[in-house]
Amino acid sequence: MPARNHSQWTAKPPLQSSEWIDSRIYTEEAIFEEEMEKIFKKTWIPVCHESELPKAYDFRTTSIAREPVIVCRGPDNVIRAFLNVCPHRGMIIERRPSGSFFEPQPSGNPKRMTCMFHAWQFDMKGNCVYVSREKEGYQDRLCKEDVGLRRLRCEVKFGGFVWVNLDDNPLSLEDWAGKPFECLRKTLEAEPLEVFHYHKAIVETNYKLWHDTNCEFYHDFMHYHNRVTGFNDAYFARKNESFENGHIVVGTFEVNYDQYEGFESRAGLSFPHLPPNQWYMIDLFPGMNFNLRGSALRCDTVTPLGPNKLMIEFRGLGLKSDSAEDRQTRINHHNSIWGPFGRNLHEDLIGVQGQGTTMRPGSEPRRILHGRQENQTIHDENGMRHYYDEWGRWMNRMPNDPEKIFAERELIAAE
Amino acid sequence: MSWKYLCEVSDVETNSVKLIDVDGVSVLVANYGGGFRAMPPICPHMEEPLAESGVIANCILTCTKHLWAWDLRNLSMIGETERDLKTYEVKQEGDKVLALIDGELTYDFDEEGDDDDDFFK
Repeated sequence: MPARNHSQWTAKPPLQSSEWIDSRIYTEEAIFEEEMEKIFKKTWIPVCHESELPKAYDFRTTSIAREPVIVCRGPDNVIRAFLNVCPHRGMIIERRPSGSFFEPQPSGNPKRMTCMFHAWQFDMKGNCVYVSREKEGYQDRLCKEDVGLRRLRCEVKFGGFVWVNLDDNPLSLEDWAGKPFECLRKTLEAEPLEVFHYHKAIVETNYKLWHDTNCEFYHDFMHYHNRVTGFNDAYFARKNESFENGHIVVGTFEVNYDQYEGFESRAGLSFPHLPPNQWYMIDLFPGMNFNLRGSALRCDTVTPLGPNKLMIEFRGLGLKSDSAEDRQTRINHHNSIWGPFGRNLHEDLIGVQGQGTTMRPGSEPRRILHGRQENQTIHDENGMRHYYDEWGRWMNRMPNDPEKIFAERELIAAE
Repeated sequence: MSWKYLCEVSDVETNSVKLIDVDGVSVLVANYGGGFRAMPPICPHMEEPLAESGVIANCILTCTKHLWAWDLRNLSMIGETERDLKTYEVKQEGDKVLALIDGELTYDFDEEGDDDDDFFK
């Protein structure tokens, strides 16, 4: 077809309604705000790994849907999550990204969380244990028992990841993600894991566009090294398997690392119960990815900052029992593919940033095609279609026409 | 029970404190102008290290975190202070400050209970 004029360019494509997306779901501020309320405040988010707070009184801070969150390990070794907000006047309690409450701080006491504003104190269970000049100011009208922190649902699961949900009454984490994790459960839970790599990227794109790159391998055409090395028929025969709640799993295959220039077999450091050089990938709605290439596990989590701004955190994990030498090898295996200077991660970021460049708030709505049908193999786009079907359900908006109600999609399709 | 050497009188300036290790026991020595006091190194309120957060003025020792304070002349509690300060008996012999140390003085703090606090269940 020759180049198109404006009405041709904006016309509906000759595909089923589930096979394209309206780009307004990437660009509209109102839709982004709705996603925060309807999705990110209601779903389980892996905020970190338990090995990142190994000792009693260790903590990490983060945010979910812009709500500040703190997770800490108590003296009873239990990891709990709270809103990182003082119940007094809304001050953020802890500003450091991570650390320990065990030692005293210039504005805090040992073993407690201290709000530096008025020195209210909280223990690792979220109890308020001290209100400065309590009797003088509140007499008996309000006491410590009335002003505990806001506790959040928190579970350590699926290989030691720390999962938090802002909703008090969600689907259980097991019911939410147990089935897609089944393929790796034995492997991830055989022995403790440990984070050895962390970096983050702040990218001007929509979080769903990032997740798309984890849900299809058609973009192998962008990855120079993927094109020229290492792949076999089994690579292309893998399937995207869909699971309830918008998750997908990419089936395993054996990677011929010895065919990659400069690479070596990873068989010697395979994760427990994993056949040599296998590669599994789990994509969780609304934007988490667990990617195990034989000897190294990668986990991506998305924190949407705006319709066109995204923070992605990348973690690499090995076995806690690793010898120093094995750990170094695992780090090399991880970083040579997925590090900031690895084989293809930065190319993925170029891809989604390029999409973000053309789809900013105010950009003209256009059609994004999701219509590849290749027997559900990795160059099919069924994984993305499955994801956007779930997105439509949570948002009650049609992904290809967000003004329309998802619950009426049967009627819309019949039109 | 025995008297232990802490420091020279000149080691601790007036209105200041000094942390001293006495055979593995950590002791805070305070010179409040009218004499010396020796005590455990932490505030009985929130375990704050008094070597860092203790301030002495007009014979009053104040923990600057939540303003608990004690008069070091008679060890009375000042203001909203809720617990007594524990001290070792102290004496001066010439230029030396000695304390009667028979085991380490400690405070009990509210430990977080082991109760099941999973109130989401």
